[in-house]
Amino acid sequence: MTTFAAVREKVQAGEALSQNDGVVLFAHPNLMELGALANDVRQRLHGDRTYFNRNFHINATNVCVATCLFCSFSRLKEGDKGAYTMKLDEAWGRLQQRVDAGEPITEIHIVNGLHDGLPFDYYTDLLRGLKRIKPDIHLKAFTAVELFFFHKHYGMSVESILRQLQEAGLDSLPGGGAEIFHPRVRRKLCDDKCNADEWLDVHRTAHRLGLRSNCTMLYGHIETPEERVDHMLRLRALQTETGGFQTFIPLAFHPDNNAMMKLPGPTGVEDLRTYAVARLMLHNIPHLKAYWIMLGVKTAQTALWFGANDLDGTVQEERIYHMAGADTPQTLTPDEIVRLIVNAGRTPVERDTLYNVIAEGDALTSTKPFRRSIRKSLEVVP
Amino acid sequence: MIETETFLVERPDSMKATPMIGATPPMIGATPDLFTLGRSALLRVQQLHDGRGVFARSRQLLNTGAWKGPRDAADSFVEDEDLLALGGISAAQQVGVRTLVVTLDKLDLALPCEGLRLLCRFPYRHDDDAKRRDARIHSLATFMKSGLALDGLIPTPAGEPQGIDTLMLFARLRTDLQIPHVIADFTRLGHRLAQMALGFGADELHGPIQPERALRLGSNTWNPVMTRKEAAMLLRGAGLRPHERLSGGALEEVTS
Repeated sequence: MTTFAAVREKVQAGEALSQNDGVVLFAHPNLMELGALANDVRQRLHGDRTYFNRNFHINATNVCVATCLFCSFSRLKEGDKGAYTMKLDEAWGRLQQRVDAGEPITEIHIVNGLHDGLPFDYYTDLLRGLKRIKPDIHLKAFTAVELFFFHKHYGMSVESILRQLQEAGLDSLPGGGAEIFHPRVRRKLCDDKCNADEWLDVHRTAHRLGLRSNCTMLYGHIETPEERVDHMLRLRALQTETGGFQTFIPLAFHPDNNAMMKLPGPTGVEDLRTYAVARLMLHNIPHLKAYWIMLGVKTAQTALWFGANDLDGTVQEERIYHMAGADTPQTLTPDEIVRLIVNAGRTPVERDTLYNVIAEGDALTSTKPFRRSIRKSLEVVP
Repeated sequence: MIETETFLVERPDSMKATPMIGATPPMIGATPDLFTLGRSALLRVQQLHDGRGVFARSRQLLNTGAWKGPRDAADSFVEDEDLLALGGISAAQQVGVRTLVVTLDKLDLALPCEGLRLLCRFPYRHDDDAKRRDARIHSLATFMKSGLALDGLIPTPAGEPQGIDTLMLFARLRTDLQIPHVIADFTRLGHRLAQMALGFGADELHGPIQPERALRLGSNTWNPVMTRKEAAMLLRGAGLRPHERLSGGALEEVTS
């Protein structure tokens, strides 16, 4: 029978962990040992460097033909209470106002509902318009679920869709819609959108076309530890094949305002455990993001010692998880993110979407009168 | 199901009488990393409480004389800021208060509190000056040396707490001071951070615990109330054996 000590040896030897190893890690009662091991791997990969970027979100429509039980964001059709679809001018205006204000945004994250009444041009025009306003903006847009829906709805191959979107300005894909790959869970939660193989195949195609992407896992609802590990292993297998994933983002389930509101949602310890296991299982995916919108700022900061090395970005106006009860702010300023990172004893690194360094360490902190000077100790040094 | 056979006396009398700085060298001013400090704190919890984590259904006496919380609560407490309006400690005791919660700078108030369980709020901010925080811990230690029977500390953030700073503080209070209970106030920390604190030296949850909790809808979305079942789940998830404090101070293990 596998023990934690045996898994630790494999980690220290740089060996890939098995399904059974992952289950052992999830069951290990000592969170501190698990965290320390994940932190060792994080240190080996990234040292103290902790990334963030300056981004904002556009959720152009919440009209969605899918009926995922965990979703608080979607509305089935236009005219339903709370349903909206942005006019293109409105979406472009979100960027224009930030450009006018001189905000050094580097990325727009675009995720939408599966709207069956919009022409494909809506999406290509959306991207073109954004690029017209700021040609160097990185457009990380459309989950694999959306792209697979485009394929079915507009009758074009995934490759053709991706090529057209690339031509319109698409730069990379977000990682949403993966939820939990295991068919038992998918059948119960979201059986009317693409399945695991289809999700993975969209990313495989994107990677083949030179697009980088992220990957996610929605945890803390009805899935078992075995199903979480299975999910991670499927991602790891695709990463071995293509090398196209940049970041794995565990997404904590929020139970509010949706059909699963009787579930408790993951606890803080479960969050940290999931991050730690993810860091250990996904040795070939370079980055692990603590998405503060879903985790909460305090837990996200703590996760920086449990394997995570990225805090996502400034975000600004997030709708999907706030409609599910996220009690986080809608935005963090770059200074706030830097302060969180420094106060966690890490070195802040501002990145672009592809993890090219924009500014690092002193260049980010020296302009601000930090009251603390902390390195690895995490403690206050006057 | 509640295991009714296993009633435990909460803490030995010897500990009540002689709270003092721990036998291990205090780490005040030192800078251990998160996991080193966390492990020491966990070890101390194991030594002191054999892995027990505690919660109680409690109600609070407000300065108006009204009670906040369930009628059948096992514990009842008053905050020092409400004491004056209520007529002092003895007046509060007369109406059934069993626990006094004082802030660090008002510990003097607590000296004549015979018969009450005494808890102290330890204030902190994430951008505290290190020396001032150390001084606060030292002053508390000095107070405890003088014979003050402090039963628990409640680290209480001013403003929004940060994760790492909070966990480090919990671990330091647990390792630097030989105090029976380090308590996570989930109304101030949030459920997630409060549970994490249970892995870094806290052994008790403090906050409104009720038999039932309304769904998280509308204005109830941010209500910090948790149920007995949720409290037990958080304690169990943090690796502790959940126990409920009953009236009289006895502990009952929650096994379901």
